[in-house]
Amino acid sequence: MSNQFDIDNVSKLASIELEETEKNKLSQDLSIILEHVQAISNLEFDISVDEVFIHPLEKQLNLQEDVVEEFLTHEEALSNAPESKDGKFIVPPSME
Amino acid sequence: MQYNPTIGIETHVELKTNSKMFCRCKVVDTEEPNVSLCPTCLGLPGALPVPNKKAIEFITLLALSTNCKITKQGMFHRKNYFYPDLPKNYQISQFDLPVGINGSLKIVLNDQEAEVAIERVHMEEDTGKSTHMGTGRIDSATSTALDFNRSGVPLVEIVTKPVLKTSLEAVAYIEELRQLVLDLGISEGKLEKGNLRFDANISVANSESDVLGTKVEIKNMNSLRSLERAIDYEIERQIKALNNGEIIAQETRHWDEGKEVTKPMRSKEGSADYRYFSDPDIPNMVLDEEFVNIIKSKMPKLPYQKRLELMQTGLSIGEANILSKSNDWIVKLFHDVYSTTKNSSSTYNWITGELQGQMRKVEINELPSWFKADSLSEIINLIESNKISFSSGKVILAALLVKNVTPYDVAKEQNLFQENDSEKILQIVKNVITENSEVVVRIKNGEDKLIGFLVGLIIKSSGGSINPSIAKDLLSKELEE
Repeated sequence: MSNQFDIDNVSKLASIELEETEKNKLSQDLSIILEHVQAISNLEFDISVDEVFIHPLEKQLNLQEDVVEEFLTHEEALSNAPESKDGKFIVPPSME
Repeated sequence: MQYNPTIGIETHVELKTNSKMFCRCKVVDTEEPNVSLCPTCLGLPGALPVPNKKAIEFITLLALSTNCKITKQGMFHRKNYFYPDLPKNYQISQFDLPVGINGSLKIVLNDQEAEVAIERVHMEEDTGKSTHMGTGRIDSATSTALDFNRSGVPLVEIVTKPVLKTSLEAVAYIEELRQLVLDLGISEGKLEKGNLRFDANISVANSESDVLGTKVEIKNMNSLRSLERAIDYEIERQIKALNNGEIIAQETRHWDEGKEVTKPMRSKEGSADYRYFSDPDIPNMVLDEEFVNIIKSKMPKLPYQKRLELMQTGLSIGEANILSKSNDWIVKLFHDVYSTTKNSSSTYNWITGELQGQMRKVEINELPSWFKADSLSEIINLIESNKISFSSGKVILAALLVKNVTPYDVAKEQNLFQENDSEKILQIVKNVITENSEVVVRIKNGEDKLIGFLVGLIIKSSGGSINPSIAKDLLSKELEE
């Protein structure tokens, strides 16, 4: 199967800068992966007989009671921050 | 050319839970940054999100109260995007299997009941708050400061179908939704605190076309007033552009409160391709019949039901709507007072007008403990039976708000009971006529406005205790003779 996706868009969405050589290599690798995944579409099954499977986990969700617990202190939370000021994490400028 | 606008509203409601959506950190309302955090809401590797039961109960209550179909097999998805207020680079949200779909909400528009179609009601988590540091302008900030207290607070998103036509309809919808979440007890519903936030999707299309125009999303409207103005502005902007032969760009615009215009926003880094996929950390969420029935049994009276009850007393839909969006004690007071007076119009006017006005004057938000519905009923009944005047009723009400007395005591003490005995009033009328014969001549010569002057004299000479309408009638008759 040929390259079915736009590697530039994928790298943009993932916020990863790629060199041309990396783009070529990754395009090839990802194409192989897509080809494997494509095999699923070729499977034949009958939803009236087979159980529909919509989530990778078979386990049913347990919800947690709305009870407060304490975890990190303010100092612990900020301890790994490369930069902080007035109790806030400081990161490079970003805007919407 | 004639254009028809179409509006859809997306509302985010912050739920009133004790702990966050996927961790047990406390939901805090504080300016002190980063004080309620754990590995989950900080997005640290290895943390395991587990949904909050109370939040799921709350959203189910909201979905049921908006007539949504409940998705029995729901699930959470990851909505992927890079922004520093979302440290794990995805927001846990819902995609194709939201808690509720295809609902509706009854609203009141131009004194008529209308219905807004709801597309979906889904559960997600809030992000942190970012502040742009530096020159004060967003686009030339030198750094971004982050507070993650809000990160992971449960949020419900309610999306309408693109069915609204005017800004007033949008405002009426938000007012109704706000009252609904308050009555359900699931959110503080305070717009100024961001408990309720809304975006509008607006398009205009040629009135002869069946196809909707290009959708423009408007953000940053913090009040109902800005919602109304932003929608009106945007509709006009799009119509002007189309009339000039321009093409409307599909974009997100920002409402500039100061300049009262919408401006194109810089798009979030990258693109709006969120690459949703089911969150493998959170198993399927099954909302079975038993669970849904338990939630149904907890359903309180909804705003439209409160309206209907109020209308059964004879109030108009507009009056019932205003009252149903008042505090609970006001609605209760109305019903209690009405049960004695059986006069919905007077009861409504006294409660929404005089009572609330006087409470503002003496700066109280709640009625004093001694103030009973019966006291207000008594005032209204005294006026209706002509025992006191309307203005005396106001005096009595003012007294009741500051001291523990009965309306009867106040009326007696301040000599407010009216004289309704026609014989006695006639005597006073005759005396005043005799003492003011020159004025009487002028009235007979056509100076009608002097009648009021004589009525004033009559009331004054009675010591203010007579029924003015009887006095006026008797005076007119005497003058005709």
